[in-house]
Amino acid sequence: MNDAAFVALLAASVVAGVPIALAALGELLAERSGVLNLGVEGMMLIGAVVAFQVGNSSGSLWLSLVVGALAGGALALVHAVLTVTLRASQIVSGLSLTIFGTGLATFVGKSIEGLPLATDFRPVAWEPLADLPVAGPVVFDQDPIVYLTVVLSVAITWYLRRTRAGLSLRSVGESPATADSMGIAVARLRYLHVVAGGVLAGAAGAYLVLGQVPAWSQDGTTSGLGWIALALVVFASWEPMRVLLGAFLFGFSRQLNFYLQAKGVDVPAELLSMLPYLLTIVVLVVWGSRDLRRRVGAPAALGLPYVRDER
Amino acid sequence: MSDGDTPGASAAPPASAPAPGGVAIALAARRVTKRFPGVVANGEVEFELRQGEVHTVLGENGAGKSTLAALLCGLYQPDEGHIERQGRPVRLRSPREGLARGIGMVHQHFRLVERFTVAENVVLGDPAQPALLRRADIETRVAEIGERFGLPVDPRARVSSLTVGQRQRVEIVKVLYRGAEVLLLDEPTAVLTPQEAEALFTTVRAMTAEGKAVVFISHKLGEVMAVSDRVTVMRGGRVTGEVATAATSARELAELMVGRPIEAEVRRGSPADPGTGDGPATPALEAADVRLVRGGQTLLDGIDLAVRPGEVVGVAGVAGNGQRELAAVLAGITAPSAGRVRVAGIDVTGRGARAARDAGLAFVPEDRLGTGLVPGLSLTDNMLLTRRRGFLVTRRAARREMATAIDAFEIKTPGTEAEARVLSGGNAQKVLLARELTGLGTDRGPRAIIVASPTRGLDIGAAEMVRGLLHEARQHGGAVLIISEDLDEVRSLADRMVVLYRGRVALEGPTDELTLEEIGLAMAGVAGAVAGVGAGDGAGDDAAVGSP
Amino acid sequence: MRLRLERRLEQRWWHAVAAPVGAVVAALAVGAVFLAIEGFSPLTVYRELFKASFTSAFGITDSLAIATPLVVTGLAAAVAFRMNLFNIGAEGQLYAGAIGGAWAGLALGPHLPAPLAVAAVLAASAVGGLVWALPMAVFKAWFGTSEIITSLMLTFVAQYLMRYLIFGSRSYWRDPESTNFPQGRKIAEAAELPQFGTYRIGWGLVVVVAVAVAVWALIRFTSVGFDMNVVGTSPEAARYAGISTVRVVLMGLLLSGALGGLAGGIEVAGRAHALDPNGLELGLGFTGIVVAALARYNPFAILLVATFLGGLRNAGVALQTLPGARVPVEVSLMLQGAILLFAIGAEIFVRHWLRLVRSGLGPAAGAGLSTAADPGEPVGPAGRAEVTA
Repeated sequence: MNDAAFVALLAASVVAGVPIALAALGELLAERSGVLNLGVEGMMLIGAVVAFQVGNSSGSLWLSLVVGALAGGALALVHAVLTVTLRASQIVSGLSLTIFGTGLATFVGKSIEGLPLATDFRPVAWEPLADLPVAGPVVFDQDPIVYLTVVLSVAITWYLRRTRAGLSLRSVGESPATADSMGIAVARLRYLHVVAGGVLAGAAGAYLVLGQVPAWSQDGTTSGLGWIALALVVFASWEPMRVLLGAFLFGFSRQLNFYLQAKGVDVPAELLSMLPYLLTIVVLVVWGSRDLRRRVGAPAALGLPYVRDER
Repeated sequence: MSDGDTPGASAAPPASAPAPGGVAIALAARRVTKRFPGVVANGEVEFELRQGEVHTVLGENGAGKSTLAALLCGLYQPDEGHIERQGRPVRLRSPREGLARGIGMVHQHFRLVERFTVAENVVLGDPAQPALLRRADIETRVAEIGERFGLPVDPRARVSSLTVGQRQRVEIVKVLYRGAEVLLLDEPTAVLTPQEAEALFTTVRAMTAEGKAVVFISHKLGEVMAVSDRVTVMRGGRVTGEVATAATSARELAELMVGRPIEAEVRRGSPADPGTGDGPATPALEAADVRLVRGGQTLLDGIDLAVRPGEVVGVAGVAGNGQRELAAVLAGITAPSAGRVRVAGIDVTGRGARAARDAGLAFVPEDRLGTGLVPGLSLTDNMLLTRRRGFLVTRRAARREMATAIDAFEIKTPGTEAEARVLSGGNAQKVLLARELTGLGTDRGPRAIIVASPTRGLDIGAAEMVRGLLHEARQHGGAVLIISEDLDEVRSLADRMVVLYRGRVALEGPTDELTLEEIGLAMAGVAGAVAGVGAGDGAGDDAAVGSP
Repeated sequence: MRLRLERRLEQRWWHAVAAPVGAVVAALAVGAVFLAIEGFSPLTVYRELFKASFTSAFGITDSLAIATPLVVTGLAAAVAFRMNLFNIGAEGQLYAGAIGGAWAGLALGPHLPAPLAVAAVLAASAVGGLVWALPMAVFKAWFGTSEIITSLMLTFVAQYLMRYLIFGSRSYWRDPESTNFPQGRKIAEAAELPQFGTYRIGWGLVVVVAVAVAVWALIRFTSVGFDMNVVGTSPEAARYAGISTVRVVLMGLLLSGALGGLAGGIEVAGRAHALDPNGLELGLGFTGIVVAALARYNPFAILLVATFLGGLRNAGVALQTLPGARVPVEVSLMLQGAILLFAIGAEIFVRHWLRLVRSGLGPAAGAGLSTAADPGEPVGPAGRAEVTA
């Protein structure tokens, strides 16, 4: 365990897990309100390309992050209009969002491809603690967004479990008809959380260029992280803290390839990469058993438009 | 609209109106009218609820009880007239506003989030809660309310794990938690076992003892007599009478409910004409000791039933007493837990809907568009829905058949290839009957026909035609079973009647020999009537009247 | 005041046409904004785009070449989606089909005459897709597990499996000669779908049109298709009529998977001629869902929509090489996405219209009667909903 390369692997897993966690937390909020958004990949790409452009023209990291996040939110708003107001299929709308977001991001990003980004997020060492073995580099020597992500996971857990607003949100995802009859504004809550989900996905994309690899590349920037985030929400059974842990696990599995290659261990990278997805299916099927599903399953109204029945 | 009418509504008293005897009026409806497209659901309804009383609104299905309740709690707004709370006119624009004034409604269909705990459901959408929920406080108060009113329920239990009776308690706790002083209970016993109903009555008494007032909506005479202080009877959207329970009888209430004296019944026009097979012909449709248990609940409890060729049998009963399940079991859609089902002497138990049809069964379900017909398919394809089809679907014959039916039954449709969704209720029913009665009187025609609520929601002309078709089916030697919650419908069509109560046959006999009162009491589950068939022990004093 | 969606009392033919046409116009307008921001003349780009894809013989055939697999993935999605079964894993089924098809091309191709070899590739690819869809179908039919998630997860597994076979191992599919840049082994020539002259289209196009007709005929003329229609739109009616839901769900999802696999076979036999991850990972499966949705799950409309989207993709490639313009290829992807978003937004106006309602006349906002907005009913029974405005 004192293997320096392994510690570096752990530290890198944390960083790799952050964008997955952010995007998945956003998706979790949307899905808890009953709206499935398959456009995560598109929103992340838009967030990344916008953050890159703002970063290079303004030089401000935080401004780039915020604007990138808002760009993701804007795209999510389209999804909200289509699915909540116009009752389009959430699946078709989300996929179209990914196609549009990918196209727009790569089109806009054409002119900046290969350029370096002037600034990026740097680790903040918590001085005495950062020198601890293992825990030092892994826990106490990371960039601010890492800590922000952890705080966000805790905050969302608390929001869902402890607050009146969180209770209303959950009721909208579980049974919009009941929520409506209790005077809760179903459409408004769905809009809010779908857009919040887009903001987080945009932030996740922004972090990819601001915190991980300070450059924009058409294929390399997200490389399917948005889809992993979608899987992660299911894997984590719609619980924020499990999303965080799962994100680090997914990050670990992505970094493990490099580590094993460096060690000269010959395990095919592709087979390792399959594991999280297979595991998600197993988890889903196990949780599919009727009595368990009642407690940890998907929000009951996930994917369904809500139409109030009037006489 | 209602805004302008409120001050003008004739006899609106300016301030608190002491009722006769000086008791305060908790809640009142003053000449309220509520219309829906094509119907007056409530017409100039007067209703007064005194402080601390249980006041029942009694009436048959569609009498306007639920509409009145919806108006009283703020779910609907009256088109004319107004609602008064403690003598003052109020405008309730939503149930939330109703609750703010201490009026809480417990719906027949629960509004609960299954995956939430009891406590979470209780405070969901409650504007009085702080932004940060104090779980321990909520749970304590829920438990406290439960104790005070005899509503034992674990605040931490998930609703999905609760029985129906427990869920109802949660609904009641929900409105009590929010400070309701007036409770409206819409058909609360419809889903309860007798023991649960008894517990509910205890709760109701505990509530009135604390000065709360309860509106009890029901069509069960027995429990009305048992629980309420006063009764308002409705029929056809209007109030037909208001009486104190102590000064009335089940019989008088039944008369008010039906709107005519029981002696002067109007009988079904056709004289007893048992059709062809007068002797002991094999029943075309037969249920022998059929039981159905689902999720621990006994839905059908030893049903014995036989419909002979040329006979129309009607199944009456209050909604939710097993009619739906009986139809599904007889039609082969649901396999019974025990007992046998035979169609034309062939045992089809548990062999599926196709097998029952092959044996000669036809079924016209209550839900016409969505169950009986597929809204998205053409009329021709709907003709084929229940037929045996080969690998390839051949439509030519079905199309011709459909075209003939359109002419014969005057079905209003753009054509045979129009989607079924465009049909009105009456036309949908005609298409269904055309399909189900195909080949009537021939070898390939149906031997037994089950029809659920055949004329519900139809205009007079269409209803007439449907009755005619069923009559014709009987003339051709078909065995017809009519299942309906509309007593008039059953009585006007059936030669013989069966009353279901809690999944059992509570009363059975020739329609001509059963009085309306007997039937009503059996539907309400009054013990005397149930026993009256066999032993005739005459426990219920009113039940003895007019027994054969 | 607020806006309310109300069901149209009468549907006219032009409502169905106006929606997609309006969507295309609106999407082009939005695209024009982004083009202008990036410094291109929108009108020039659009003119060239049209010319590149739909005027010359090579342009049209290239568009059709891209449309070819889209037709089949579109059919794969349509078969499932019209039953309200959301198999979004045609992408993965396509990879699995390509693996199966390439195997047949390698193992059986050399020993069979041309038409049979091609048939073997296509059949094996369909089986591959079907096998890949099997877990999804079984879990859905018997346990009610969400097919959305399982099909999506299996897509990634298929993708990594395909990459493993070529990049990560010395598998049967990998060309042993290629060591530095691993590639798939070429299938037997007899197993390739012949091309028409020098054009990039070939018998693959004929095959997919035939498949579209076959799917249409299956839905329209067979009992299986009939049952699928009933189960998809009215599960209650299916129970009533004694149609086994489990059986029909299973068949629908497996058919969908087989079609997704067939798309992989058509790519292998018609274009890639090997298991070629780089040449197959084009998002054809995902785009197929969009094709199906725009075509309202109608097989013949799928042919048209696939051609249109194929043209759009093809134009992107052509634009890039255009002298003087040098518009990035991605413009077509962006336009495609924009058209999709507008098209699905416009969809509801075929059956509904917006009406301005004075507040106060309707039921109280936020607290009305909401008895039957049943989760099982994708579009509510009343066909009306409030729109916050």
